[in-house]
Amino acid sequence: MNHSMKNQLLSLFTEIQIDIKKDNEMIINAAKNAIIGILSFCKSKGYEHLALVSCVDWIEQKKFELVYILSPYPEQEPEFSKKEKTNIILKTRIDREQPEIVSVINIFKNAEPYEREIHELFGINFNGHPRLTPLFLERTYKIPPFRKNFDTREYVKKVFDEIPFIDKKEASK
Amino acid sequence: MDRNQISKWIKSPVKMGHKYSLHAVYFCTGCGIIEIPPSITARWDAERFGVIPVATSRQANLFLITGYVSLKTLKAIIRTYEQMAEPKFTVGFGSCPINGGMYWDSYNTIKHLDKYIPVDGWIAGCMPRPEAIFVAVTHLWTLIDREMADGYKRYRKNYKFYRSNQEKLYGKLEWPPLFQKDGAK
Amino acid sequence: MRKLELYFGPQHLGMVGNFSITLNVEGDRIIKAKANPGYLHRGFEKLMEYRTWIQNFPLVCRINVVEPDHMEMIYAMAVEKLAGIEVPERAQYIRTIYLELARIASHLFGLWAYANMLGLDTVAQWAMYHRDLILDLFEELTGARVYHIYIWPGGVRRDFPPGFKEKIIKTLHSIGSCVPDYNDIFFHNKLFYQRAADIGKLNREQVTAMGGVGQVMRATGMKYDIRKIEPYGAYDKVEWNVPVRENGDAYSRIMVVRDEMIESVHMIFKLLDKMPGGKTYTRTPNPFKWNIPAGETYVRCESSRGELGLYMVSDGKDKPYRVHFRTPSYSHGLTILEKVLQNESIADVGNIMISLYVVAPEIDR
Repeated sequence: MNHSMKNQLLSLFTEIQIDIKKDNEMIINAAKNAIIGILSFCKSKGYEHLALVSCVDWIEQKKFELVYILSPYPEQEPEFSKKEKTNIILKTRIDREQPEIVSVINIFKNAEPYEREIHELFGINFNGHPRLTPLFLERTYKIPPFRKNFDTREYVKKVFDEIPFIDKKEASK
Repeated sequence: MDRNQISKWIKSPVKMGHKYSLHAVYFCTGCGIIEIPPSITARWDAERFGVIPVATSRQANLFLITGYVSLKTLKAIIRTYEQMAEPKFTVGFGSCPINGGMYWDSYNTIKHLDKYIPVDGWIAGCMPRPEAIFVAVTHLWTLIDREMADGYKRYRKNYKFYRSNQEKLYGKLEWPPLFQKDGAK
Repeated sequence: MRKLELYFGPQHLGMVGNFSITLNVEGDRIIKAKANPGYLHRGFEKLMEYRTWIQNFPLVCRINVVEPDHMEMIYAMAVEKLAGIEVPERAQYIRTIYLELARIASHLFGLWAYANMLGLDTVAQWAMYHRDLILDLFEELTGARVYHIYIWPGGVRRDFPPGFKEKIIKTLHSIGSCVPDYNDIFFHNKLFYQRAADIGKLNREQVTAMGGVGQVMRATGMKYDIRKIEPYGAYDKVEWNVPVRENGDAYSRIMVVRDEMIESVHMIFKLLDKMPGGKTYTRTPNPFKWNIPAGETYVRCESSRGELGLYMVSDGKDKPYRVHFRTPSYSHGLTILEKVLQNESIADVGNIMISLYVVAPEIDR
């Protein structure tokens, strides 16, 4: 089943590389503008569960890599068939200086908080997302905190250790 | 435990009343919430020490800050602490309020809790056992007896230093200062 | 009728965990709900990039305070998959028994929260007491009540002490013999049925579209359990069933939790009978200089709330390059909760939130 799906994907989309590892994990590397097409195709073939939308910061190559992980919901039968074990990992690279990509919220509705979190922690803009407001963080940082050039130990020294203790002798003056 | 000494009740009833009815605010601040339900249910019964959880901060006089404190939580903690009626006592539970604990290099947690609100005692551990809570409560009784549990008095006296620390962290605060001049309300 | 904006905020008697919901209400009906997470955000995934592979084990188990054992398991599974380490068979059995005990303890904690919120304090006290008996077992095995750090990459930290198997059987018998009392007071109680039936109803298409997993999915009739789909540990070596209910409301979700607890107890007895002897640990290289080959992987397991996944990227050095946890409470607490709270009354907010089993530290990490 995996190889037939691989052949169909290769025939439908250009600029795509597919790699199947030994325990049935399919890794697809694609260009930025083919994401919507590949995701709709996989959803129509039964991969309806978007498990994760994640982002990796490759600072030396000056790219962000967005990762979409899909898995199928099993069919209704008393014993699950072993062929349904594949996970699809779909990856794409975007530019690090002006990071921008289209949102997949029209295909998978539960991508909404994942994209909000990536926007807040990495600084990537998602076109078409209805609500890109802050989710976890209480303030805005000059460099988004999960990028590799944000050093949290320096930040802690600069912000938290500068606040003085309330010393009893000095305060009672 | 001097609960049975009638003469003490007659001499200083207010202090004995404070000691043996510490009502704790029900606020699950962080990690430590996992050891509070065992302490207040039947096996390690906290009600024999007089400690029960109450619904709002207006009815409470003990504030157990269980676990690490993030930036958003500290705002809620300061507002809850200022809503409590005096006399009020705070206990920092776990290693994280003491000096940052395991998250000493995180950008979103504060490292020393007593720079922002006054703390009367600490319980070390990650997680402390329920018996550690009871040892802390008995130590707090001794401190109340000797008039050394004066966190709320320190807050009133040094309010401008606490407020300036809070403003250094957050910028402009949304709530007005609690005490207008030093010591007065 | 007047419209109000209420904060079901962090300091609230009906809230377990540090989480806040903003409700727009008109009279007693909720028009719109908005979840505000972020009170427990520590930036775990950033902290893990500064520590070596072994130093991350004490950090990983603190992501979810109610049930830290599945976090250790998933991290160990990912490290073993990238580094190519084999786990001996006795260690697989021990890991499975340990995880099932953790599942029972976590479900009893959820039962405490739910019964407390409904107002039935008797069952809450019993559930907390039985959970404490299981924590005594953990304390004898690993040394700590809550954060155990027992699973190592390559096996488990130490074997069962002598006489431990009999202690497990005795504890489970004493919990299991109270099940008829639980049934009489709580699960077959007409008041619980009236409070929980048809509240927070979801059908299968809605749950599939919004990314629901775990009990939320199994209460709508689909047998979705990672322990059957991608078996890990020793789950494929014993016979067991996936409990399923039909209706999709809060009553079905709590009954699925009850059935799962009973199924776990039977599974532990069968595993204890079949457990082989042998080693419990494969030696790993020097932990101070351990480099794992470059690559990426996605592993998943079934925690007591649903599908727990981990996406890990390594670039060949001695620290992880990127770690991302996919926790089950993320989609339940942020997407499903906002949808299912519309048109419910204010008194049912805690009811629905605890039946979806949303645990706040998992959302914020």
